[in-house]
Amino acid sequence: MSFFWDGLTEAWGLVTDGDPYLWHLVRITLQVTGLSTGIALLAGVPLGLLLGLGRFRGRGTGLALANAGLALPPVVVGLVLALLMFPRAPLGQLHLLFTLKGVYVAQTALAFPIVVALVASAVSSLPPGLVAQARALHAGRGQVWLLALREARVGVLTAAVAAVGSGLSEVGAVVLVGGNIEGVDQTLASAALEKVDAGQFSQGVAIGIVLLGLIAVVMAGLTVLQHRDQL
Amino acid sequence: MRLDEVDARRGDRLVLQGISLELRPGVTAVLGPNGVGKSTLLDVLNGSLVPSAGTVEGKRQVATALQSGDLARRTALSNVELALAWWGVPKDQRQSRAQGALDSLAVGHLADRRATRLSGGERRRVHLARAIAVHPEVLLLDEPFAGLDPEARAALLSDAAGVLRAAAPTVVVVVHDREEAWAVADRLVVLLGGTVAAEGLPGDVLAAPPTAEVARFLGYTGELRTPEGRLLTRPVHTRLVLGGRPAQVVRRAAREDDVLLDLRLAEGQVQAAAPYPGPQVGDAVQVEVTGGVRY
Repeated sequence: MSFFWDGLTEAWGLVTDGDPYLWHLVRITLQVTGLSTGIALLAGVPLGLLLGLGRFRGRGTGLALANAGLALPPVVVGLVLALLMFPRAPLGQLHLLFTLKGVYVAQTALAFPIVVALVASAVSSLPPGLVAQARALHAGRGQVWLLALREARVGVLTAAVAAVGSGLSEVGAVVLVGGNIEGVDQTLASAALEKVDAGQFSQGVAIGIVLLGLIAVVMAGLTVLQHRDQL
Repeated sequence: MRLDEVDARRGDRLVLQGISLELRPGVTAVLGPNGVGKSTLLDVLNGSLVPSAGTVEGKRQVATALQSGDLARRTALSNVELALAWWGVPKDQRQSRAQGALDSLAVGHLADRRATRLSGGERRRVHLARAIAVHPEVLLLDEPFAGLDPEARAALLSDAAGVLRAAAPTVVVVVHDREEAWAVADRLVVLLGGTVAAEGLPGDVLAAPPTAEVARFLGYTGELRTPEGRLLTRPVHTRLVLGGRPAQVVRRAAREDDVLLDLRLAEGQVQAAAPYPGPQVGDAVQVEVTGGVRY
């Protein structure tokens, strides 16, 4: 139990002392989370809308693939991407392996199917008459999409929350692709893992506590945004 | 707009067959049993379903109010403004037109109320306001009075008759209930078996249905064998009188103001209404049949 007390004390010290190592970890974590979630939302929301509202051949397959993406094992994604990023592999020329850019790619690959599947699910759960009525009054595709996003905003923000959650806490793919290099692409979660691996349990707990605090703050903000109509 | 020998399919099923129909100015009610193709006809008219045969001539700017009437989670006024935006109405005109449409359907005072806080009848009125606010050339309404409680339905029917005539030059209303057709329509189209079985002024179609099938659908529930052929009758054609034809009550159903009797005669069976409490099942009565149509 002393690990937890020591970790709590150390975490408090790291935060109050403005430890540069900790703040670098926080910055990298937020960078990875923000960028991967942003790209996943930009690419995934339109695809989710298309799958959720569209009527075309292959829609069912697309939805099944997106749902399967929710259960992608991060370690497998990381492994595949790492193999693809090896110098002689198809993505080798991009020099992504063991870089922060590579971590961005890995985390985006994990967040993208989350956004697609949850947005598709949210908009396809709207009352069917609402979207059909918009079309019957000659709404364009953009107007229908905006209507669906607005009406399904709780579900769409749930997708964002899930993508952010994945970005903040993901370890497997980040370590495999980024190499968990301190000062380069190490995040709070991967740093905690490294400390535990090195037997520095109280430091691992301290970083974990900071990560939990960060998650609490970010998720509280998103939850307020998500339910501002009801709160 | 005119449909000429139009066939329409839903998947492999042929729903409409050889529909020929000219939409005239005024309110046309399309009446028919469930699954006969009324909504499919609206889909052909608004262009969302391409006929598998035949032609649609004289395409117009068509607005459709679907049956479901789902509203967006915003205020009543904002819902109508949104419909005007979909329709391409300039922003500076939307508020006044939306408010005008809500006023015409007697829900102007609910303009700032969120859709989630409206009753079923109020939601339906806002839904109709969306469709009439856009001022289309042809307005199609799919069962706008369905699913309402009797009081809300009666009130909406009363208000809608005048509003629909002003909403668009040509209005087509799909209705499931004859009462709704009589309340709002200038013309009546009866769909049976996926085709137009009768068309004309509501009074004319009711007084002289072109076929026995149409007559039965329009409430001609009695059938008597006569030397001149089959005589189909509605309850209004039969009354209980002393000295009339002998009949026996075989079934009775109490209604709000009277009882509806099924009567067996030597020539067949008819229905008649009688003041409450009326005769009982098995009683012998005498009836006079004063109308009906022969086939």
